[in-house]
Amino acid sequence: MNEIDDQLRLLIPRLRRFAVSLTRNPSNADDLVQACLERALSKWNDKRADGDLRAWLFSILYRQFLDAHRRSRRYARMLEFFTGRDDAHPSAERSVIAQSSLQAFDQLPAEQRALLLWVSVEGLSYQQVADILDVPTGTVMSRLSRARQALRQLSDGEIARPALRILK
Amino acid sequence: MISMPPSDNDLHAYVDHQLSEADRQQVEIYLANHPAAAKRVRAWQQDAQHLRTTLSAALHQSANPNLDPATIRQRLKHRTHRQLANAAVLMVAIGVGGFGGWHARQMTLLSAAAPMADALQAYRLIAQQGILPADYQSGDKQGMQGWLDRYFAQADRLPDLTGAGFKPVSGRLLSTDQGAAAMVVYQDAGGQKISFYIRPPGPRNFLLPRGSRRDGELQAEYWSGPGYNYAMVIPSDTSAAQTLKQTLDF
Repeated sequence: MNEIDDQLRLLIPRLRRFAVSLTRNPSNADDLVQACLERALSKWNDKRADGDLRAWLFSILYRQFLDAHRRSRRYARMLEFFTGRDDAHPSAERSVIAQSSLQAFDQLPAEQRALLLWVSVEGLSYQQVADILDVPTGTVMSRLSRARQALRQLSDGEIARPALRILK
Repeated sequence: MISMPPSDNDLHAYVDHQLSEADRQQVEIYLANHPAAAKRVRAWQQDAQHLRTTLSAALHQSANPNLDPATIRQRLKHRTHRQLANAAVLMVAIGVGGFGGWHARQMTLLSAAAPMADALQAYRLIAQQGILPADYQSGDKQGMQGWLDRYFAQADRLPDLTGAGFKPVSGRLLSTDQGAAAMVVYQDAGGQKISFYIRPPGPRNFLLPRGSRRDGELQAEYWSGPGYNYAMVIPSDTSAAQTLKQTLDF
Protein backbone atom coordinates (compact mmCIF):
# COMPACT_ATOMS: atom_id res chain seq x y z
CA MET A 1 0.00 0.00 0.00
CA ASN A 2 2.85 2.34 0.86
CA GLU A 3 4.53 1.41 -2.37
CA ILE A 4 1.40 2.36 -4.33
CA ASP A 5 1.18 5.66 -2.47
CA ASP A 6 4.80 6.42 -3.28
CA GLN A 7 4.23 5.72 -6.96
CA LEU A 8 1.17 8.00 -6.91
CA ARG A 9 2.96 10.77 -5.05
CA LEU A 10 5.61 10.93 -7.76
CA LEU A 11 2.94 11.44 -10.40
CA ILE A 12 0.83 14.04 -8.57
CA PRO A 13 2.70 17.05 -10.02
CA ARG A 14 2.11 15.69 -13.53
CA LEU A 15 -1.57 15.09 -12.82
CA ARG A 16 -1.93 18.60 -11.44
CA ARG A 17 -0.24 20.05 -14.50
CA PHE A 18 -2.53 18.08 -16.81
CA ALA A 19 -5.57 19.13 -14.79
CA VAL A 20 -4.56 22.82 -14.93
CA SER A 21 -4.12 22.59 -18.68
CA LEU A 22 -7.66 21.20 -18.95
CA THR A 23 -9.48 23.42 -16.46
CA ARG A 24 -7.21 26.51 -16.72
CA ASN A 25 -7.89 27.06 -13.04
CA PRO A 26 -5.64 25.75 -10.23
CA SER A 27 -8.34 25.16 -7.62
CA ASN A 28 -10.65 23.33 -10.05
CA ALA A 29 -7.61 21.43 -11.20
CA ASP A 30 -6.87 20.18 -7.69
CA ASP A 31 -10.50 19.11 -7.25
CA LEU A 32 -10.15 17.14 -10.44
CA VAL A 33 -6.89 15.53 -9.30
CA GLN A 34 -8.48 14.64 -5.98
CA ALA A 35 -11.44 13.00 -7.70
CA CYS A 36 -9.06 11.18 -10.03
CA LEU A 37 -6.96 9.82 -7.15
CA GLU A 38 -10.06 8.74 -5.24
CA ARG A 39 -11.24 6.84 -8.26
CA ALA A 40 -7.80 5.36 -8.92
CA LEU A 41 -7.48 4.11 -5.34
CA SER A 42 -10.95 2.59 -5.26
CA LYS A 43 -10.54 1.02 -8.72
CA TRP A 44 -6.93 -0.05 -8.23
CA ASN A 45 -7.75 -3.67 -9.05
CA ASP A 46 -9.02 -2.66 -12.50
CA LYS A 47 -5.59 -1.41 -13.50
CA ARG A 48 -3.78 -3.66 -15.95
CA ALA A 49 -0.72 -4.97 -14.14
CA ASP A 50 1.52 -4.35 -17.14
CA GLY A 51 -0.07 -0.99 -18.01
CA ASP A 52 1.64 2.36 -17.56
CA LEU A 53 0.38 3.95 -14.33
CA ARG A 54 0.76 7.48 -15.65
CA ALA A 55 -1.30 6.75 -18.79
CA TRP A 56 -3.97 5.04 -16.68
CA LEU A 57 -4.25 8.04 -14.34
CA PHE A 58 -4.36 10.48 -17.25
CA SER A 59 -7.19 8.49 -18.71
CA ILE A 60 -9.20 8.55 -15.45
CA LEU A 61 -8.61 12.26 -15.00
CA TYR A 62 -9.52 13.07 -18.60
CA ARG A 63 -12.75 11.10 -18.41
CA GLN A 64 -13.73 12.83 -15.18
CA PHE A 65 -12.99 16.19 -16.73
CA LEU A 66 -15.25 15.37 -19.68
CA ASP A 67 -18.03 14.23 -17.35
CA ALA A 68 -17.80 17.35 -15.21
CA HIS A 69 -17.67 19.52 -18.31
CA ARG A 70 -20.79 17.89 -19.69
CA ARG A 71 -22.57 18.36 -16.37
CA SER A 72 -21.71 22.05 -16.15
CA ARG A 73 -22.78 22.58 -19.76
CA ARG A 74 -26.10 21.00 -18.96
CA TYR A 75 -26.40 23.18 -15.88
CA ALA A 76 -25.59 26.29 -17.91
CA ARG A 77 -28.21 25.39 -20.50
CA MET A 78 -30.77 24.86 -17.79
CA LEU A 79 -30.01 28.28 -16.34
CA GLU A 80 -30.18 29.82 -19.75
CA PHE A 81 -33.64 28.39 -20.14
CA PHE A 82 -34.58 29.57 -16.68
CA THR A 83 -33.24 33.10 -17.02
CA GLY A 84 -33.63 33.43 -20.79
CA ARG A 85 -30.03 34.37 -21.33
CA ASP A 86 -27.14 32.96 -23.24
CA ASP A 87 -24.08 32.59 -21.04
CA ALA A 88 -22.25 30.39 -23.45
CA HIS A 89 -21.11 32.93 -26.04
CA PRO A 90 -17.34 33.06 -26.48
CA SER A 91 -15.55 35.66 -24.41
CA ALA A 92 -13.86 38.63 -25.99
CA GLU A 93 -10.52 37.32 -24.78
CA ARG A 94 -10.70 34.64 -27.43
CA SER A 95 -10.15 37.06 -30.27
CA VAL A 96 -7.07 38.64 -28.72
CA ILE A 97 -3.84 37.79 -30.49
CA ALA A 98 -2.01 34.97 -28.78
CA GLN A 99 1.25 36.41 -27.64
CA SER A 100 2.89 33.41 -26.07
CA SER A 101 2.71 29.74 -26.77
CA LEU A 102 0.87 29.22 -23.49
CA GLN A 103 -1.83 31.65 -24.52
CA ALA A 104 -2.08 29.93 -27.89
CA PHE A 105 -2.21 26.57 -26.17
CA ASP A 106 -4.95 27.73 -23.82
CA GLN A 107 -7.11 28.71 -26.76
CA LEU A 108 -7.16 25.21 -28.19
CA PRO A 109 -10.10 22.89 -27.51
CA ALA A 110 -9.65 20.61 -24.49
CA GLU A 111 -8.95 17.49 -26.50
CA GLN A 112 -6.22 19.18 -28.51
CA ARG A 113 -4.62 20.46 -25.30
CA ALA A 114 -4.72 16.97 -23.86
CA LEU A 115 -3.23 15.44 -27.02
CA LEU A 116 -0.36 17.89 -27.20
CA LEU A 117 0.40 17.52 -23.53
CA TRP A 118 0.36 13.74 -23.66
CA VAL A 119 2.49 13.46 -26.79
CA SER A 120 4.75 16.52 -26.88
CA VAL A 121 5.20 17.13 -23.16
CA GLU A 122 4.71 13.78 -21.44
CA GLY A 123 6.02 11.71 -24.34
CA LEU A 124 3.27 9.10 -24.30
CA SER A 125 3.24 6.76 -27.31
CA TYR A 126 0.51 7.01 -29.95
CA GLN A 127 -0.70 3.61 -28.79
CA GLN A 128 -1.08 4.80 -25.17
CA VAL A 129 -3.01 7.86 -26.31
CA ALA A 130 -5.18 5.65 -28.55
CA ASP A 131 -5.97 3.51 -25.51
CA ILE A 132 -6.90 6.55 -23.41
CA LEU A 133 -9.21 7.99 -26.06
CA ASP A 134 -10.40 4.57 -27.17
CA VAL A 135 -9.77 5.29 -30.87
CA PRO A 136 -7.38 3.73 -33.43
CA THR A 137 -3.79 5.10 -33.60
CA GLY A 138 -4.50 6.46 -37.07
CA THR A 139 -7.18 8.69 -35.56
CA VAL A 140 -4.76 9.84 -32.86
CA MET A 141 -2.28 10.83 -35.56
CA SER A 142 -4.77 12.80 -37.62
CA ARG A 143 -6.14 14.58 -34.53
CA LEU A 144 -2.60 15.34 -33.39
CA SER A 145 -1.80 16.73 -36.80
CA ARG A 146 -4.81 19.05 -36.58
CA ALA A 147 -3.87 20.09 -33.06
CA ARG A 148 -0.32 20.98 -34.15
CA GLN A 149 -1.62 22.92 -37.10
CA ALA A 150 -4.02 24.84 -34.87
CA LEU A 151 -1.30 25.64 -32.34
CA ARG A 152 1.02 26.77 -35.15
CA GLN A 153 -1.61 29.11 -36.56
CA LEU A 154 -2.49 30.53 -33.17
CA SER A 155 1.17 31.06 -32.27
CA ASP A 156 1.67 32.88 -35.57
CA GLY A 157 -1.44 34.91 -34.96
CA GLU A 158 -2.67 33.83 -38.41
CA ILE A 159 -6.20 33.55 -37.15
CA ALA A 160 -6.39 36.68 -35.08
CA ARG A 161 -4.51 39.21 -37.20
CA PRO A 162 -6.76 39.53 -40.25
CA ALA A 163 -9.68 40.30 -37.96
CA LEU A 164 -7.71 43.22 -36.51
CA ARG A 165 -6.58 44.54 -39.88
CA ILE A 166 -10.15 45.27 -40.86
CA LEU A 167 -10.22 47.97 -38.19
CA LYS A 168 -7.62 50.17 -39.98
CA MET B 1 9.21 0.65 -42.68
CA ILE B 2 7.83 3.90 -44.06
CA SER B 3 7.84 4.78 -47.75
CA MET B 4 9.40 7.86 -49.28
CA PRO B 5 8.44 10.65 -49.49
CA PRO B 6 7.29 10.52 -45.87
CA SER B 7 3.61 11.28 -45.23
CA ASP B 8 2.49 14.00 -42.84
CA ASN B 9 1.87 11.31 -40.23
CA ASP B 10 5.43 10.05 -40.67
CA LEU B 11 6.74 13.58 -40.11
CA HIS B 12 4.67 13.93 -36.94
CA ALA B 13 5.91 10.56 -35.74
CA TYR B 14 9.44 11.78 -36.43
CA VAL B 15 8.87 14.89 -34.30
CA ASP B 16 7.44 12.69 -31.52
CA HIS B 17 10.32 10.20 -31.58
CA GLN B 18 7.94 7.41 -32.48
CA LEU B 19 9.80 6.08 -35.55
CA SER B 20 12.15 3.15 -35.64
CA GLU B 21 15.83 4.01 -35.88
CA ALA B 22 15.95 3.05 -39.59
CA ASP B 23 12.88 5.17 -40.42
CA ARG B 24 14.23 8.06 -38.43
CA GLN B 25 17.42 8.08 -40.53
CA GLN B 26 15.40 7.90 -43.76
CA VAL B 27 13.37 10.93 -42.70
CA GLU B 28 16.49 12.87 -41.75
CA ILE B 29 18.03 12.24 -45.16
CA TYR B 30 14.78 13.35 -46.79
CA LEU B 31 14.57 16.52 -44.67
CA ALA B 32 18.17 17.42 -45.48
CA ASN B 33 17.17 17.59 -49.16
CA HIS B 34 13.74 19.17 -48.76
CA PRO B 35 14.03 22.55 -47.02
CA ALA B 36 10.28 23.29 -47.11
CA ALA B 37 9.40 20.10 -45.27
CA ALA B 38 12.34 20.63 -42.95
CA LYS B 39 11.02 24.08 -42.07
CA ARG B 40 7.58 22.73 -41.17
CA VAL B 41 9.09 20.00 -39.07
CA ARG B 42 11.32 22.52 -37.29
CA ALA B 43 8.32 24.71 -36.49
CA TRP B 44 6.52 21.74 -34.92
CA GLN B 45 9.63 20.84 -32.96
CA GLN B 46 9.93 24.39 -31.71
CA ASP B 47 6.27 24.50 -30.68
CA ALA B 48 6.72 21.25 -28.78
CA GLN B 49 9.86 22.59 -27.11
CA HIS B 50 8.03 25.82 -26.16
CA LEU B 51 5.23 23.82 -24.65
CA ARG B 52 7.63 21.69 -22.63
CA THR B 53 9.42 24.77 -21.33
CA THR B 54 6.26 26.73 -20.55
CA LEU B 55 4.44 23.86 -18.94
CA SER B 56 7.41 22.72 -16.88
CA ALA B 57 6.65 25.59 -14.49
CA ALA B 58 3.35 23.89 -13.62
CA LEU B 59 5.24 20.92 -12.20
CA HIS B 60 6.56 23.01 -9.35
CA GLN B 61 3.40 24.05 -7.54
CA SER B 62 3.52 23.88 -3.79
CA ALA B 63 2.19 20.58 -2.50
CA ASN B 64 -1.51 20.33 -1.65
CA PRO B 65 -1.91 18.08 1.42
CA ASN B 66 -5.48 17.22 0.34
CA LEU B 67 -4.05 15.36 -2.61
CA ASP B 68 -1.79 13.06 -0.64
CA PRO B 69 -2.75 9.42 -1.28
CA ALA B 70 -2.73 8.63 2.45
CA THR B 71 -5.24 11.46 3.11
CA ILE B 72 -7.40 10.31 0.23
CA ARG B 73 -7.38 6.71 1.48
CA GLN B 74 -8.49 8.01 4.87
CA ARG B 75 -11.33 9.97 3.32
CA LEU B 76 -12.47 6.99 1.24
CA LYS B 77 -12.52 4.85 4.36
CA HIS B 78 -14.69 7.41 6.21
CA ARG B 79 -17.07 7.53 3.30
CA THR B 80 -17.38 3.73 3.25
CA HIS B 81 -18.04 3.78 6.98
CA ARG B 82 -20.79 6.34 6.52
CA GLN B 83 -22.35 4.30 3.73
CA LEU B 84 -22.17 1.19 5.92
CA ALA B 85 -23.80 3.10 8.75
CA ASN B 86 -26.58 4.23 6.43
CA ALA B 87 -26.97 0.68 5.20
CA ALA B 88 -27.21 -0.50 8.81
CA VAL B 89 -30.02 1.97 9.50
CA LEU B 90 -31.78 0.63 6.41
CA MET B 91 -31.38 -2.96 7.55
CA VAL B 92 -32.85 -2.11 10.94
CA ALA B 93 -35.63 -0.22 9.21
CA ILE B 94 -36.46 -3.15 6.95
CA GLY B 95 -36.51 -5.34 10.07
CA VAL B 96 -39.00 -3.00 11.75
CA GLY B 97 -40.82 -2.86 8.45
CA GLY B 98 -43.75 -0.90 7.09
CA PHE B 99 -44.08 2.82 7.45
CA GLY B 100 -41.30 2.95 10.00
CA GLY B 101 -38.89 1.57 7.46
CA TRP B 102 -39.86 4.08 4.83
CA HIS B 103 -39.57 6.91 7.29
CA ALA B 104 -36.11 5.78 8.38
CA ARG B 105 -35.08 5.60 4.76
CA GLN B 106 -36.12 9.21 4.23
CA MET B 107 -34.12 10.23 7.25
CA THR B 108 -31.10 8.34 5.99
CA LEU B 109 -31.34 9.94 2.58
CA LEU B 110 -31.78 13.41 4.00
CA SER B 111 -28.94 13.14 6.44
CA ALA B 112 -26.63 11.59 3.85
CA ALA B 113 -26.71 14.81 1.82
CA ALA B 114 -24.76 17.53 3.61
CA PRO B 115 -27.06 20.43 4.50
CA MET B 116 -27.13 23.29 2.02
CA ALA B 117 -24.49 21.68 -0.18
CA ASP B 118 -26.09 23.59 -3.05
CA ALA B 119 -25.18 26.90 -1.39
CA LEU B 120 -21.52 25.91 -1.36
CA GLN B 121 -21.73 24.71 -4.92
CA ALA B 122 -23.28 27.99 -6.00
CA TYR B 123 -20.56 29.93 -4.19
CA ARG B 124 -17.88 27.96 -6.02
CA LEU B 125 -19.55 28.41 -9.41
CA ILE B 126 -20.35 32.07 -9.09
CA ALA B 127 -18.15 33.80 -6.54
CA GLN B 128 -14.97 31.79 -6.98
CA GLN B 129 -14.90 30.65 -10.57
CA GLY B 130 -17.05 33.40 -12.08
CA ILE B 131 -18.64 30.81 -14.40
CA LEU B 132 -22.05 32.43 -14.23
CA PRO B 133 -22.64 36.15 -14.64
CA ALA B 134 -24.88 38.11 -12.29
CA ASP B 135 -28.57 38.65 -12.98
CA TYR B 136 -28.58 41.80 -10.94
CA GLN B 137 -25.80 44.13 -9.87
CA SER B 138 -26.07 46.88 -7.34
CA GLY B 139 -23.92 48.68 -4.86
CA ASP B 140 -26.68 49.28 -2.35
CA LYS B 141 -28.64 47.05 -0.06
CA GLN B 142 -32.04 48.59 -0.88
CA GLY B 143 -31.79 47.76 -4.57
CA MET B 144 -30.62 44.24 -3.87
CA GLN B 145 -33.39 43.67 -1.35
CA GLY B 146 -35.93 44.86 -3.91
CA TRP B 147 -34.56 42.46 -6.50
CA LEU B 148 -34.69 39.56 -4.03
CA ASP B 149 -38.23 40.42 -2.90
CA ARG B 150 -39.44 40.07 -6.49
CA TYR B 151 -38.74 36.35 -6.25
CA PHE B 152 -38.94 35.47 -2.55
CA ALA B 153 -41.92 36.82 -0.64
CA GLN B 154 -41.53 37.61 3.05
CA ALA B 155 -38.05 36.20 3.29
CA ASP B 156 -35.48 37.16 5.91
CA ARG B 157 -33.92 40.55 5.22
CA LEU B 158 -30.43 40.57 3.72
CA PRO B 159 -28.00 40.82 6.58
CA ASP B 160 -26.27 44.18 6.98
CA LEU B 161 -22.56 43.47 6.85
CA THR B 162 -21.29 47.00 6.36
CA GLY B 163 -19.80 46.81 9.84
CA ALA B 164 -17.41 44.17 8.54
CA GLY B 165 -16.83 46.13 5.34
CA PHE B 166 -19.00 43.96 3.07
CA LYS B 167 -21.57 45.28 0.60
CA PRO B 168 -23.95 43.31 -1.62
CA VAL B 169 -22.67 43.58 -5.19
CA SER B 170 -24.44 40.99 -7.31
CA GLY B 171 -27.33 38.56 -7.32
CA ARG B 172 -28.03 35.43 -9.30
CA LEU B 173 -31.06 33.21 -9.61
CA LEU B 174 -30.48 29.47 -9.57
CA SER B 175 -32.55 26.43 -10.11
CA THR B 176 -32.36 23.55 -7.63
CA ASP B 177 -34.39 20.39 -7.22
CA GLN B 178 -36.06 22.06 -4.22
CA GLY B 179 -37.18 25.02 -6.31
CA ALA B 180 -35.81 28.40 -7.39
CA ALA B 181 -32.94 29.69 -5.27
CA ALA B 182 -30.95 32.91 -5.24
CA MET B 183 -27.49 33.89 -4.18
CA VAL B 184 -26.35 37.38 -3.28
CA VAL B 185 -22.60 37.97 -3.31
CA TYR B 186 -21.14 40.46 -0.85
CA GLN B 187 -17.70 41.88 -1.41
CA ASP B 188 -15.33 43.96 0.68
CA ALA B 189 -12.69 46.45 -0.41
CA GLY B 190 -10.10 43.68 -0.50
CA GLY B 191 -12.15 41.64 -2.98
CA GLN B 192 -13.09 38.97 -0.44
CA LYS B 193 -16.46 37.46 -1.23
CA ILE B 194 -19.13 35.93 0.95
CA SER B 195 -22.57 34.86 -0.09
CA PHE B 196 -26.13 34.87 1.16
CA TYR B 197 -28.13 31.96 -0.21
CA ILE B 198 -31.86 31.41 -0.05
CA ARG B 199 -34.06 28.61 -1.31
CA PRO B 200 -37.42 26.99 -0.47
CA PRO B 201 -37.32 23.97 1.82
CA GLY B 202 -38.64 21.65 -0.88
CA PRO B 203 -41.81 19.60 -1.15
CA ARG B 204 -41.07 17.75 2.10
CA ASN B 205 -40.69 21.08 3.89
CA PHE B 206 -37.32 20.02 5.22
CA LEU B 207 -36.26 22.71 7.67
CA LEU B 208 -32.80 22.90 9.13
CA PRO B 209 -31.63 23.27 12.68
CA ARG B 210 -29.22 26.20 12.93
CA GLY B 211 -25.78 24.88 12.17
CA SER B 212 -22.42 25.38 10.63
CA ARG B 213 -20.27 23.18 8.51
CA ARG B 214 -16.87 23.35 6.97
CA ASP B 215 -16.28 22.09 3.46
CA GLY B 216 -12.75 22.43 2.12
CA GLU B 217 -11.78 26.07 2.21
CA LEU B 218 -15.33 27.25 2.80
CA GLN B 219 -17.49 27.62 5.85
CA ALA B 220 -21.27 27.43 5.60
CA GLU B 221 -23.60 28.80 8.28
CA TYR B 222 -27.16 27.69 7.71
CA TRP B 223 -30.57 28.09 9.28
CA SER B 224 -34.26 28.08 8.45
CA GLY B 225 -36.45 31.13 8.62
CA PRO B 226 -39.94 32.08 7.49
CA GLY B 227 -40.65 29.78 4.56
CA TYR B 228 -37.10 29.30 3.37
CA ASN B 229 -33.75 27.74 4.14
CA TYR B 230 -30.79 30.07 4.28
CA ALA B 231 -27.03 29.81 4.21
CA MET B 232 -24.10 32.18 4.37
CA VAL B 233 -20.92 30.93 2.76
CA ILE B 234 -17.62 32.40 3.87
CA PRO B 235 -14.08 31.49 2.92
CA SER B 236 -12.73 30.17 6.20
CA ASP B 237 -9.33 31.08 7.63
CA THR B 238 -9.42 34.58 6.19
CA SER B 239 -9.29 37.79 8.15
CA ALA B 240 -12.72 38.58 6.69
CA ALA B 241 -14.12 35.44 8.26
CA GLN B 242 -12.72 36.43 11.64
CA THR B 243 -14.16 39.94 11.45
CA LEU B 244 -17.52 38.56 10.44
CA LYS B 245 -17.62 36.06 13.23
CA GLN B 246 -17.07 38.90 15.67
CA THR B 247 -19.54 41.20 13.96
CA LEU B 248 -22.36 38.79 13.39
CA ASP B 249 -24.39 36.44 15.38
CA PHE B 250 -25.56 33.98 12.77
